[in-house]
Amino acid sequence: MSARRAPRWLRVLGALGRVNAAEELQYRANFVASGLGTLFALGTALLTLLLFFRHTVRLGGWGFWEVVVLLGVFTSLSGVVEAVLRPGIGQLAEEVRSGELDLVLARPVDAQAFVSFRRLDLWRLTDVALGLVVAGYALVRLGRPPAPLAVVAFLVALASAGVVVYALWVALMSLAFWFVAVENISVLFDALFEGARYPVTAYPGALRVVFVYLVPIAWTTTVPAAALTGRLGPATALGAAGVGGLALVLARLLWRAALRQYTGGGG
Amino acid sequence: MHFWGMADAAAILADRLSKVFRVKVRAPGLRGAVQALVRPRYRAVRAVDDVSFRVAPGEIVAFLGPNGAGKTTTLKMLTGLLFPTSGRAAVAGYMPWTGGSAFKRRIALVLGNRQQLVWDLPAEETFRLNRVIYDVPEADYRARLDELVELLDLGGVVDKPVRQLSLGERMKCELAAALLHQPSILFLDEPTLGLDVTAQEAIRHFLRAYRDRHGATILLTSHYMQDVTALASRVLIISHGRLLYDGALDALVARVARTKRLELVLGDGVTREALAAFGSVLDFQFPNAVLEVPREAAAATSARMLAALAVVDLSITDPPIEEVIQRVFALGAAPPAAGEAP
Amino acid sequence: MTALALWARRYGALIRNAWLIDLQYRAAIVLWVLWGVVEPAIALGIWWAIAGAGPVGGYSRADFARYFFALTLVNQLTLAWDSWYLDRWIREGELNFRLARPLHPMHEAIADNLAYKGRTGGTILVLWLLVAALWPTVRLAFDAERWALVGLAVALAAAMRFLISFTTGLLAFWTTRATAIMELHAGVSLFLAGRVAPLALLPPVVAGAAAFLWFPYMLAFPVDLLTGAVQSGGALARGFAGQIVWLLLWLLACRVAWRRGIRRYGAVGG
Repeated sequence: MSARRAPRWLRVLGALGRVNAAEELQYRANFVASGLGTLFALGTALLTLLLFFRHTVRLGGWGFWEVVVLLGVFTSLSGVVEAVLRPGIGQLAEEVRSGELDLVLARPVDAQAFVSFRRLDLWRLTDVALGLVVAGYALVRLGRPPAPLAVVAFLVALASAGVVVYALWVALMSLAFWFVAVENISVLFDALFEGARYPVTAYPGALRVVFVYLVPIAWTTTVPAAALTGRLGPATALGAAGVGGLALVLARLLWRAALRQYTGGGG
Repeated sequence: MHFWGMADAAAILADRLSKVFRVKVRAPGLRGAVQALVRPRYRAVRAVDDVSFRVAPGEIVAFLGPNGAGKTTTLKMLTGLLFPTSGRAAVAGYMPWTGGSAFKRRIALVLGNRQQLVWDLPAEETFRLNRVIYDVPEADYRARLDELVELLDLGGVVDKPVRQLSLGERMKCELAAALLHQPSILFLDEPTLGLDVTAQEAIRHFLRAYRDRHGATILLTSHYMQDVTALASRVLIISHGRLLYDGALDALVARVARTKRLELVLGDGVTREALAAFGSVLDFQFPNAVLEVPREAAAATSARMLAALAVVDLSITDPPIEEVIQRVFALGAAPPAAGEAP
Repeated sequence: MTALALWARRYGALIRNAWLIDLQYRAAIVLWVLWGVVEPAIALGIWWAIAGAGPVGGYSRADFARYFFALTLVNQLTLAWDSWYLDRWIREGELNFRLARPLHPMHEAIADNLAYKGRTGGTILVLWLLVAALWPTVRLAFDAERWALVGLAVALAAAMRFLISFTTGLLAFWTTRATAIMELHAGVSLFLAGRVAPLALLPPVVAGAAAFLWFPYMLAFPVDLLTGAVQSGGALARGFAGQIVWLLLWLLACRVAWRRGIRRYGAVGG
């Protein structure tokens, strides 16, 4: 790809973002509704944690406020999914069904990026802020302010977590091409991501291995939260970045294989 | 075409039907939103205003009107989905709102959104379901299905999933599904909307044939002129909730249309200016031209023109019905309270 | 044809229809069932970890395993989605043609539930049997009498949850937020119906409050009956009594909501 391609790609994204923002600003009532929904989900998650910690002091070795930090990270990442990834899936499903996808694929922009990011629900980004607030408050209650290096490691790990989540999403979209049940990948993703609510150390051994190496949701919430609370050293950030990059590469390979199969096989 | 010959027993009777909706009035902006919550204010929208008519058994009648005129609202009152604010309706001898199962078995309703067929299964499955819902005996079901498939040309269509069918095929299947229980009255909301010309004609042809065979009464709403000219013996024109006209279409044209059209094929040397001396020139593309003249003068003007100019061919026609209808709407267009049906 | 035979034929056709539609959506249904398994599986995972040091609130690891397996099955057999598509019917005009035909729309909803639950409940049961073959902990003693009672409790719970879902869906006659109310209910039932933990592990105040509402009878009671946690006549009688009382109350609520709702629909249209 030539150096000139990046700015155009960015410009397309920018244009999409502006169009979506104008639409979304009209839906203030929906914003309040979805905000309340997120608060409600957060509330039930906290109550669940309180219930667990009524009967134990440590969960997978993590204390209550440490798990709340993790919950904050989970909420933030969910916000990214809701804001960026989920809105486009309905449209993709419709295009696969109606065959319009061929038109989409014929466009001169990269199909993967295009179908992933073309619809944005920017209001959901407030979930990201909310999650960070929750994590921050939990840190305060822990009484252990993180060292600057830990914060940097956290940010790197969080960004990598975002990439891993995106890679998971792309992998699922690719699988959906084979099964033509695209609109359901939302459900599949939620089912997989649900395990990221708790530290990976809480799960029995075999499951832990799956969550670290196979469906790497451990790297989405456990690792960033551990970096922030000092459980894992700053070097983990490097590992996280590596995992993020690897996941993205693998997901893209899977996507291209799926596309080849889709267009080659005649749809 | 009256199969039952009971002049007084109307299949459909609407007697001063009215439907008034209370709609919330909301000023724009934030203050308006708060006000709407705290002290809501309403205005009355007369979707249907004092509409009366009767339809005899076996008639095909078309409800004509622009969007929001009150056609669908009237239809809903006649089928029991809405109850009138005032006035009464009687369909097949029942009051629709309270008619219950007995009433529902005598009628069929096919609505605009056309989602009565089960989308993911072949139309056949919806037919089987309807057979059981309406308790149609097996032998009758087979006979009726065969007849409908033949009349609607649905061979090979009913066993394909509905989502694979074209719009025209889907509409035909919807009609078939609605007629399996042999209703005496059929209500259709925009049955030819969105269909291509072939499909539209097929539907119209079918409805006429069905009525001829079974004597069903058909009330359809439409804003297509051809539905009326090809299908209905009578037209009810409704606008802003009020009935503007009730009768045969040619009578309407004769009453309202004040001009006639002369369609001409001209010979050499006839200019636009020469033509303009006889009437207003609507279209001039040599050798064809269209001239508009007052109705009463049509014959005389034609004679003069034939004598004075080189005219190869001339025919006298009515203005397009759409224009006539537009005039009717315009004439009846001063509503007492502004508003269209929601 | 007698009325009973007539209705049997109607339900036969409706269930067959729903079954065929489900067949078309089997990929989606697999995923929804997966979701229905993942939730309790994760809860079990956490309680398993917590109970590693010893029984919690009277529940050992094995008890938790049996509880959550039973919960997965009972939940699949009793959950109801009707509020979502009833809400859609009302708002998108799909209720009209249903009202114009001589069949109460509720029968279609009930048949849909029966077809779906038959299919997915059967799947969960098979899964459970497979796991039980490999993992003795989740096996349950065969007891025909108790299982008959479990069947009754599950049927009552399913009927009640259906009515709750249907009634909530009917709120769409008045509000656009009917599905939000259903989600609120689902959120509360996470705790009060025993989806996150057996009710015995809740703070006593909360569990006590739950006993005054219908939530325990939705899930916790049939589940405890299945795992054998409820044995004695007293608890058994109280459980069934609660189920019946709340079923009747929700039936009443449903009828009122339907009558009022249809009246409103006929006044303001849809």
